[in-house]
Amino acid sequence: MKIIINDQEVNAVYGETLLETSRKAGIHIPTLCYHEAFGGEGRCRMCMVEVEKNGLKKVVAACTYPVTDEVSVRTSTPVIDKIRRNIIMLLYKCASGSPLLQDLFREYGCSDNSLQEDPEERCILCNLCVKACEEIGISAISLIMRGTDKRVATPYSQAAEVCIGCGTCARICPTGAIPMVDEGRQRTIWSKNFELISCERCGSFFATREELTHMASVNEALDIDTCLCENCRKKMVAEKISKYNCS
Amino acid sequence: MMLTTSPDTKKILVCCGTGCQASGSLEVYRELNKKLAPDTGVQVETYTKATGCNGWCEQGPLVKILPDDITYCHVAVADVEAIVEKTIKNGELIKKLLYRDPATKKQVKSHHEIDFYKKQHKIALRHIGEIDPASIEDYLDWGGYQALQKALTMSPQDIITEVIRSGLRGRGGAGFPTGIKWQSCAGQEEPAKYIICNGDEGDPGAFMDRSIMEGDPHTVLEGMIIASLAIGAGHGFIYVRDEYELAITNLTRAINDARIHGYLGHNIMGRDHSFDIEIVRGGGAFVCGEETALITSIEGNVGEPRDKYVFPTAKGLWGKPTVINNVETWANIPVIVKDGAEKFASIGTDKSKGTKVFSLVGKVVNTGLVEVPMGTSLREIIYDIGGGILKGRAFKAVQTGGPSGGCIPADLLDLKVDFDSLTEAGSMMGSGGLIVMDEHTCMVEVARYYLHFLAGESCGKCVPCREGIRCMLEILTRICEGKGEAADLDMLEDLGKTLEIASLCALGKTAPNPVLSTLRYFRSEYETHIRDHRCPAGVCRSLTEFYVDPEICNGCGLCTKNCPVNAISGEKKEPHLISQELCIRCGECFNRCNFMAIKVK
Repeated sequence: MKIIINDQEVNAVYGETLLETSRKAGIHIPTLCYHEAFGGEGRCRMCMVEVEKNGLKKVVAACTYPVTDEVSVRTSTPVIDKIRRNIIMLLYKCASGSPLLQDLFREYGCSDNSLQEDPEERCILCNLCVKACEEIGISAISLIMRGTDKRVATPYSQAAEVCIGCGTCARICPTGAIPMVDEGRQRTIWSKNFELISCERCGSFFATREELTHMASVNEALDIDTCLCENCRKKMVAEKISKYNCS
Repeated sequence: MMLTTSPDTKKILVCCGTGCQASGSLEVYRELNKKLAPDTGVQVETYTKATGCNGWCEQGPLVKILPDDITYCHVAVADVEAIVEKTIKNGELIKKLLYRDPATKKQVKSHHEIDFYKKQHKIALRHIGEIDPASIEDYLDWGGYQALQKALTMSPQDIITEVIRSGLRGRGGAGFPTGIKWQSCAGQEEPAKYIICNGDEGDPGAFMDRSIMEGDPHTVLEGMIIASLAIGAGHGFIYVRDEYELAITNLTRAINDARIHGYLGHNIMGRDHSFDIEIVRGGGAFVCGEETALITSIEGNVGEPRDKYVFPTAKGLWGKPTVINNVETWANIPVIVKDGAEKFASIGTDKSKGTKVFSLVGKVVNTGLVEVPMGTSLREIIYDIGGGILKGRAFKAVQTGGPSGGCIPADLLDLKVDFDSLTEAGSMMGSGGLIVMDEHTCMVEVARYYLHFLAGESCGKCVPCREGIRCMLEILTRICEGKGEAADLDMLEDLGKTLEIASLCALGKTAPNPVLSTLRYFRSEYETHIRDHRCPAGVCRSLTEFYVDPEICNGCGLCTKNCPVNAISGEKKEPHLISQELCIRCGECFNRCNFMAIKVK
């Protein structure tokens, strides 16, 4: 089916979200909480767009709005620009320590005001870390409390027994809000210490033992006895392929 | 127990709603049963029953005696002996237990003669206070399950058409036409469908749904069973606020009794339709009153709402088509089916049919539960039924629709209340809370109070609601502390608009209402806080200074007695003086003074 985005006709698949349609068409809609791996949850509301159907206009979140009709969409209007500016301002105020938010605050032309800032805080509660941990099959962290007290935490905010220290949460975090410290053989994350395993080839410390064990348990093809870091593993595979090609 | 009693039997109805129970009505009920036990030699044939809430909570515990039609107020255990000896045995009235009309100063024999009841029109509350909620026989005696019998003779489409024609709109807040909702769900191809009753009433001061679930549980079940026939659902859930212990007890009993009588379970009334209901207890989150959060909660997840671009009627509980209605909506269904859509649609306004239950609380004489036709004016509800403002003070505002409703000022008192008029006035129907405020209320503090409530009860999922409320609360707090800035009001309005448009669910979209409506109607009060560092109502402590007007003060000493920090001094019969150094601005003297001699600077 076809829909109109910013006066441009684009192809859409029935039922996909407006955000997916726009991205395929190369039309930018800003997001902070969206990740292709998990789909939209409508948390940050940066992707609000104006949809017109049968002459009626409404403002919707593109990451959750399903395309089921031949609608006409505007990704930027004065109302929407204002909403995005306010959202960036609000997020900057609660997570002033985040370089990303500091940049966005300037980029969106937010004017400074007298509301309190929290320079120690970086988390914007996008929930990507929680979703990633869940996707891996661990669920060591979750959103706890509600309202203005909501935050990401391990159970009882103590070192979680199930955490494998893989650091996926820290890597997916858009604002660098999850501290992960690697010092020599030791990694510390979510108040838990892990021993890091070194790569057989290059000697770099690349993963925790718990992570390798977990990965082997969900992927039978993985051989954890050959402990190779991501780079060396790629090299090894490349070598095998080239040998195969040569012979 | 069946009411197979002779016309001479004295029926004694003791209100055992939560309000009356808190005032000791269960003890009164037990004492009455003890005093009237067969071995006590009382010659009169009697029958006592514990009923649900009569709504007139201000006067509880209430005891009604039939057929004499006597209503006793504020009954204590010590009064029971006199009631038995005088009224039951000899038909004498006990004057001190009768309601005294404040206008005519006369004692009134029956509640039917009181304005509080005369002006009401009961549909959803029709049985409450009359029947024993623990007895299915009593419900049957009052015509219960006759609507279901009728519905069994109708086609599913006929039932839906009847509900559409009645014009019933959802009583939970949004006012969506109930019949259209059912139609949309019935039209889904997916065979597995669910029905949910939303009993997660969380608004502070609201107890409409509680009263229905406690006082007439079968009416809720009957409404749900009728809907199950209409849309073809096999399973239903009643999601009850966790704190509603009595509602859960009475609903559980009602479900069991309905199963025994064949109204619930396999092959209802011998027909080829099966439907059963299970109770789910809420986890104490206000946001779970929002339907998608409630559905998520039943599924066992954290109660966070989702965008409703696809309605629950298409994808609801476990992704299946679901009809979710509020308790009061369900209570209207049996009446519509039994008496016909026309009769129901003849009540109310053009676009809002039927009646609405309000919980009338705050600074009003008769707090309690009232049910009036849609289109009744706020003035009639607050003054005619509610008896006006406490202590004869001036009305300032009424907040409708719960914590995220708006505050309506005195010049809109003649507003005819329905879904649309309240929205136009910057408030909402919500589930029917009416909080009356008098002249001693600071509207900035009211806005701050509700935003504080919502800051804790927002689920925190979307940014506009979570962070927007946080920032609006920060601004309101500093205005109340006298640290407001000139730009604050514009910022509140700007953020309020963002919340209205961009928030994910109705909680966030309506959260700015208390702020925006008070800015609309009481802007000068905000300005006085910011510009003059003064709280005209004498509520915000940092901005208030109380003083005694020596012209009015007659030195009665009431303020001195009630001052918690001994800041007031003065000789008897001489004007008193407040020490500003000692005063903590609690307002106790201001509220206590019978002569309005305490003033706010």
